[in-house]
Amino acid sequence: MMKNIIPENPPFKLLNILYKKEFILLMVLLSIIFINSNVSPYFLDLYNLIDSTFLFSEKAIIALSMTFVIIARQIDLSVASIIAVSSCVLGYTTSVGMDTYLVISFTLLSGIMCGAFNGFIITRFAIPSIIVTIGTMSLFRGLAYSFLEDQYYNKFPKFVVSLGSDYLFGYIPYAFLTFIILSIIFAFILHKTIIGKRIYSIGNNPESAQYTGIQVDKYTFVLFTLNGLFSAIAAIFLSGRLSSVRPNIAFGWELEIITMVVLGGVYIYGGSGSILGVVISIFILGMLSFGLGLINVPGVGIIIFTGLLLILSIGFPSFIKYFRSKNE
Amino acid sequence: MVVCLNMKLELKKISKFFPGIKALQNVDFNLKQNSIHALLGENGAGKSTLVKILCGVYQPDEGSIFLDKQKQIIPDPTSSLQLGISAIHQESVMFDELSVMENIFIGNHIVKKNRLVDWSAMEKKTRELLDNLEADIKPDEKIKDLSIAQRHIVQISRSLVHDADIVIMDEPTASLSQKEIEELYSIIRNLKKQNKSIIFISHKLDEVLEICDEFTVLRDGEVINNDLISNTNKDQLITNMAGREISQIFPKKHVTIEHEILNVKNLYKKTQFKNINFNLRKKEILGFYGLVGSGRTEVMKTIFGINKFDEGELTFKNNKLKIKTPKDAIQNGIVYLSEERQNLGMTGLMSVKDNINMAVMDKNSKYLILDKLKDLQNASELQEKLNIKVSYWSQLAQSLSGGNQQKTVIAKWLSTKPEIIILDEPTKGIDVRSKSAVHEFMGELVDSGMSIIMISSELPEILGMCDRVVVMYKGLIKKILDVSNTSSEEIVGLASGE
Amino acid sequence: MKNFLKNRDFILFSIIIFGVIIVGFANPYFVQPSSLSDVLTDTSILIILALSQMIVILIRAIDLSVASNLALSGMLISLLSTVYPELPVVFFILLSCVIGTFLGVLNGVSIAILKVPFIVTTLGTLSIYRGLIYFVSDGKQVYSHEFSENFLALIHYKFLSLSFLFWVAIVVFIVMYILLNHTRFGRNLYSLGGNPDAAKYIGINENKYVILAYAISGFFAGLCGYLWVARYSVASTQIAIGFELTVISACVVGGISVMGGVGTVVGCTLGALLIGLIRNALPAVDISQFWQLAISGAIILIAIIINTKTEQRKDKTIMVE
Repeated sequence: MMKNIIPENPPFKLLNILYKKEFILLMVLLSIIFINSNVSPYFLDLYNLIDSTFLFSEKAIIALSMTFVIIARQIDLSVASIIAVSSCVLGYTTSVGMDTYLVISFTLLSGIMCGAFNGFIITRFAIPSIIVTIGTMSLFRGLAYSFLEDQYYNKFPKFVVSLGSDYLFGYIPYAFLTFIILSIIFAFILHKTIIGKRIYSIGNNPESAQYTGIQVDKYTFVLFTLNGLFSAIAAIFLSGRLSSVRPNIAFGWELEIITMVVLGGVYIYGGSGSILGVVISIFILGMLSFGLGLINVPGVGIIIFTGLLLILSIGFPSFIKYFRSKNE
Repeated sequence: MVVCLNMKLELKKISKFFPGIKALQNVDFNLKQNSIHALLGENGAGKSTLVKILCGVYQPDEGSIFLDKQKQIIPDPTSSLQLGISAIHQESVMFDELSVMENIFIGNHIVKKNRLVDWSAMEKKTRELLDNLEADIKPDEKIKDLSIAQRHIVQISRSLVHDADIVIMDEPTASLSQKEIEELYSIIRNLKKQNKSIIFISHKLDEVLEICDEFTVLRDGEVINNDLISNTNKDQLITNMAGREISQIFPKKHVTIEHEILNVKNLYKKTQFKNINFNLRKKEILGFYGLVGSGRTEVMKTIFGINKFDEGELTFKNNKLKIKTPKDAIQNGIVYLSEERQNLGMTGLMSVKDNINMAVMDKNSKYLILDKLKDLQNASELQEKLNIKVSYWSQLAQSLSGGNQQKTVIAKWLSTKPEIIILDEPTKGIDVRSKSAVHEFMGELVDSGMSIIMISSELPEILGMCDRVVVMYKGLIKKILDVSNTSSEEIVGLASGE
Repeated sequence: MKNFLKNRDFILFSIIIFGVIIVGFANPYFVQPSSLSDVLTDTSILIILALSQMIVILIRAIDLSVASNLALSGMLISLLSTVYPELPVVFFILLSCVIGTFLGVLNGVSIAILKVPFIVTTLGTLSIYRGLIYFVSDGKQVYSHEFSENFLALIHYKFLSLSFLFWVAIVVFIVMYILLNHTRFGRNLYSLGGNPDAAKYIGINENKYVILAYAISGFFAGLCGYLWVARYSVASTQIAIGFELTVISACVVGGISVMGGVGTVVGCTLGALLIGLIRNALPAVDISQFWQLAISGAIILIAIIINTKTEQRKDKTIMVE
């Protein structure tokens, strides 16, 4: 009896790769690099490029855990506010003279607690995460404001300052390095472990995942706590780099982080997406800001451009479909 | 005998193609005025495509539609309603949060001269309609508070408001109690008296023989037979539908039932069920019969760990069971196939291989890392065993045909090597041939050592497949009967509360 | 069931009254008619925006761009009024509404035609519109002395000791009440949100309703653009930053379900009043401004939790004990 062996994948077609989101994103990235290098002679300078990573590395770190959150069909609008809380804890613990390792521990703990609070409210009361995190966004930021009032912190442990602004071997910024290492770890988790499969399953159909024995609430809680932790990590790098913490720190960052994730091909309603896509989109946005900045486009212009890019990148396929159907 | 020569609806040579599938081919369908016309066929035969064409959801690729001898085109659902065609579906085209009155007039509100909604006129008309149908429903009740039978009545009222001449009913008696079914039959006969023509879709052949005047059988998109009901019988209909004789609808193998493996004691959940005491023996098929809403699914969901119970004890193979989540149940060898096969069994956007392995990934993995080889092994084993048609492993589960999707769900559960399988209405809405296949498969499972709890609302299935049956009514067990020692009348009586 | 709904709105109402009384004990000036009227005036814009946001939330979407829309419309007419101060104020009000509607329609088209999910679209336009304010104003403000007399005058009118702003809110309330409860359009919104597939089957054109809903939301954002700028006599890039969250909170507290198809005009208004009360009560009881954000956030979360608990369907009773 002939045994029919079923192949893993459909027959390899070069054309199929061209349609893949990650490939398109890569093409966009390369075009941006190409255009930028032609427009400004400073673009392809190695040191400039390396320094440009400072501007997006902290956001990028959070974008990684946010990717998991969004794939699991949730959303977290409170991350920037968690940065504010953690930065305050960082500044305060430094100001009362604690040892560096305690300072860092408390900072990370504050992020974990904020994230866990989100996770608790969402799972315990079954309230949509968009609503809960709209609330905690104000609550956490408010805590930062009530704590700092109109003061600010500008003294941080040397270790933290170094983390935020120094380079490994003089070349690679610690923040950027952390981002790269974390993205490899996250990619591994998402694509090679059960955890990743379960996250996809939850994002696809949470009820079905529950019936299959996946502990959806537990996973949701952990994902939000993780987001909080990563916000705290980002806060450490950010505070170190800025050497100043005001209550409005990282204002508006949640939108940029979500843009990084969604532009990277992660479906906003969950169930699909890859870390690779998000990483490429982070570089796209980073190179874009950097390049536009070099030709003196104001920060505002970059924001508008990013917003347009986000909407059009998702709307473009439908646009094409619409025209195709009109021509038929 | 009244001879009706008026042809209300004529479909001539209707064809409809989808990529790779001929859904309908050269179909002629004639609906006489004032007739109750049964549309029969297995799942995938083309019935729902035909209905969707009549409702304006699809356009025919070939052929024409004639209403009252006039050629018509039905480009969208609104036109279909305007032409007097109305459909009552299984899934609700209902709005839970809105009132009965609004559901009846949805999309069609009565307005006053100043373009504002005329609530009083609508309420009056609603009361009229509900009284005519002898329904005990108030116009301002919310749909979410109504029973399924009451919802059907609302849907029928909606057809009447739209002044529909043709009413299409798709499995209208699924989920209804015997009493409600009789009431529905009298409503249908009433509609006939009011000059309506009805297209009646049902898998219950006994029902079709009782209430319909004529029939058309579809198979693989073509018309196989159409005639008066008086000219046919059940066996002939089955043969028409399946294309071959199906002698045994309940091919049950003979199995020796062994010792008790599951014991449920005093299960109680506030407002849901009480005093649930039963046991399950190895290789046994235990049926759970009762009206929709009698609490059977709630009990099973509790045993499976979806819901918590307030009091009670579960014993499995003489060990006390602590089941708090489905994971606990699965680890103990108990699995549950939900009634909503599509939604709750399968993850459409993930690959077939992942779907099959979903429940056993942790067993196959090392420190949470996926073991590609073991996953592949498991998937191949089950694909072969169940004959799942799949082209490549990374294919998305949602791209499989309905039957293969169901097999994938079953494969997922079989991977866990369960000892007890809970099936919730496993053959609901399934045609005769597939039903038979499911029953045969159940027999194989039991033969290989598993035990089955089957929730079913179809008496023939209970009598044909089960060893014992637990009859429930309003959250309580009325009696546990030996199938060989009881009768339909006794079971139905207990289920209705006697 | 009717009683239950009335109950929820009644609870909100009682909380508001209770809150006023408590604050009154701490600060007697607060319960004087003039200061209560100030609270109502202060809350008027929130009420208007909450009611228009309600229409979007009813169809299972959210409009995150309202605050940016408001600010951009307000800035545009302010700049125009400095160039053409002699034009009647009605012209500027209408222009602001038109601009707002246009910005709203862009959202609607993006969601309905380009199929960009509403979260992504409105997050995008939130930034784009806010960014455009910088562009048109060069980052500069329009100061109070630059506005013409007649531009600002309307705001200060009082009828029956209630301000013009509050009267606008009352009119909007009446219009919305009629729209949502007594027109086909309004009732169809409820059905589209409650069961989109069924609604489309009945023939409700989803795309049309989405675009209209965002157009309405944009219209009122534009209107509030004028109201805000005239009230505070300033137009800048910073106005109403973050206000969209307040608006959405008002809706959720008022019982509008994010799942769509559920919510009443009265409830929404009460939600806005409650939030407005909190915002005004905190300074009245001498709570430092720095604590206000945290306290509002906490109270909103609590209100959302309570709301959700009452909203959640209990299991249908099968067995009678």
